[in-house]
Amino acid sequence: MSVPLVDILSLSGALFALGIFGVLTRRNFILILISVEVITNAAILNFIAFSFYSPGPAAGGITGQSIAVILVGLAATEVAVGLAIVLALNRLRGTLNVAEAIQLKF
Amino acid sequence: MQVPVAAYLPEALALAAALLTFLMDAAGVRQRVVVGSFSVVLYVLALISVLGDLSVAPFSIFATVPKGLIDTGAVGPIQFSSFGLLWQAIFLSASLLVAFASLSEGEGEREVPIFYGLLALATLGTLLVGLSADLIFLLLSVEVTGISTYVLVAYARKDARALEASMKFYLIGALSTAISFFGASLIYGAYGSTALSHLRDLPPSATVGGTQMALVGLGLLTVGLGFKVTAVPFHMWAVDVYDGAPDHVSAYLAAGSKKMGLLAVLVVFAASVSIFREGSAWALYVAFSGLAVVTMTVGNVLALQQRTMKRMLAYSSISQAGYMLIGLAVATPASLAGTTIQAVAHVLMKGGAFLFVAAMASIGVGNRIDDYRGLGHTHPATTASFAILLLSLAGIPLTLGFVGKFYIFASAVQAQGLFIFLAIAGLLNSAVSVFYYARVLRIMYMVEPQTSSQGRWTPAVAHLADPGAGSTPPSAGSSKGANLGRFRAEIQALGLARWSAIVACAALTIILGIYPTPLIDLANNAAAHFLATGP
Repeated sequence: MSVPLVDILSLSGALFALGIFGVLTRRNFILILISVEVITNAAILNFIAFSFYSPGPAAGGITGQSIAVILVGLAATEVAVGLAIVLALNRLRGTLNVAEAIQLKF
Repeated sequence: MQVPVAAYLPEALALAAALLTFLMDAAGVRQRVVVGSFSVVLYVLALISVLGDLSVAPFSIFATVPKGLIDTGAVGPIQFSSFGLLWQAIFLSASLLVAFASLSEGEGEREVPIFYGLLALATLGTLLVGLSADLIFLLLSVEVTGISTYVLVAYARKDARALEASMKFYLIGALSTAISFFGASLIYGAYGSTALSHLRDLPPSATVGGTQMALVGLGLLTVGLGFKVTAVPFHMWAVDVYDGAPDHVSAYLAAGSKKMGLLAVLVVFAASVSIFREGSAWALYVAFSGLAVVTMTVGNVLALQQRTMKRMLAYSSISQAGYMLIGLAVATPASLAGTTIQAVAHVLMKGGAFLFVAAMASIGVGNRIDDYRGLGHTHPATTASFAILLLSLAGIPLTLGFVGKFYIFASAVQAQGLFIFLAIAGLLNSAVSVFYYARVLRIMYMVEPQTSSQGRWTPAVAHLADPGAGSTPPSAGSSKGANLGRFRAEIQALGLARWSAIVACAALTIILGIYPTPLIDLANNAAAHFLATGP
């Protein structure tokens, strides 16, 4: 007995919406980063679910699962770069509030 | 058919450029001449190889991809199409231009190999986009370039403005990637496959409301890739990033990585026509027509109000993306050829223009448009080149910018129906854009540097400009001698590599503008195959 696809899609849809909401409302660099990761995880969840319920030519294949693994690696790479930027930024300005990043507007 | 290893020569060269440059860094080789020339040589070799694969006359003996593989369909996640190869040539030209011009930058302790290594990695990503025949492969390639460019913007770690630009670029980039992948996951769910050929040929599966899910996925992909192309509701980051990034990086972002986003959009949406085949094709056309019109209008209107050169160029770059999106909305071979030609033009125009801004910044000219007053008298060759590039951006005849725009607008008129409004909107926008380009031309040529009352004409610049213009001894007499001296002083001040890169951009814009036939033939052939056999 397995979880129905609709349930998984609802969960991933909720995660996606949550992530977008976080990106739009948070003002701290790291919290925005986490929100973006939530969106990525929604995508990963989708890939795994669709891999299980695959309708098309690759039915029963592991394409979706392998994509999920690749995406985990991609997310880690992105976070590494993001944290490097955070470190440099914090060292230079002492704040992680993106609302204070207004030097480039005039 | 087996793909010979040699077919990946351009990608291998870009990868070698990246890895060996980082190795050089580890070995302590950090002279700009050594590291930079190495990258430049590898880019030239890769460009020759790509042009060989395209059977461009003098280079065709260097072809590495067997003829039977080009335009014959996907091999796994990869495909050799003449369209992708042509865009690879565009990407390589952009990287070559920036790498070559950067030879004139000053020596940095640690930064030189980092800059060239990241540039090579970004180039690798763009090349892979040109090869991809699979949605996930495509998005991962886009991400290779994306991550390299986030770091590239911030490679000068002590520069607060660059760091802020990098932060904005990173957040927007990561968000757009996440949204793209979410969209891709829905498309995978609808089709059970991520191969673009499946999207092309098969209808979405009916199991889980396939068509609607594919449409939502496609919409999210549009948003995600729209950020990369700086299409208008998703353009906010571009101006700040171009403004804050080091000048040569801005040149690469405008010339290289933006073209990559455009190709990604083209590839995805040429493949996804099957979703819209079921009676709602108009939705796709309306969506992209709207995106194109809004993008060019907003870009142009905001460019009119800018006071600083880089922001003006950034907004004009957004409006140029709008013109190129017309080609996507019309989606005929002629319009895609026009988009390709415009992309070539855009590499030369935006690359050259940002390099000119970099050159002027290096001799102490400010970033405000007013600071460029009288440069036509002190730096004749580069200012004339910049003027040519601006005229080309405005679409004045005899330049490549005109050829590209003409081709795009003509294809919209040819396609009949409501597309003619796209051509009209494009023409109106071109007319508007002439205003802000002409304003820069007026300031550079009609205003004398000495008449400045605010004293923004810094002593450093006056000093650099003087040796040629002012101090040629009267005994030399002839104005010819004075002119020669002026050019020599200009080259000395700006650096030979940067000077020749800017002049070469302008020269190519004119040459290809007067004799565009070979380029048009290439683009037409590639676009016809692209629409016939798929991405």
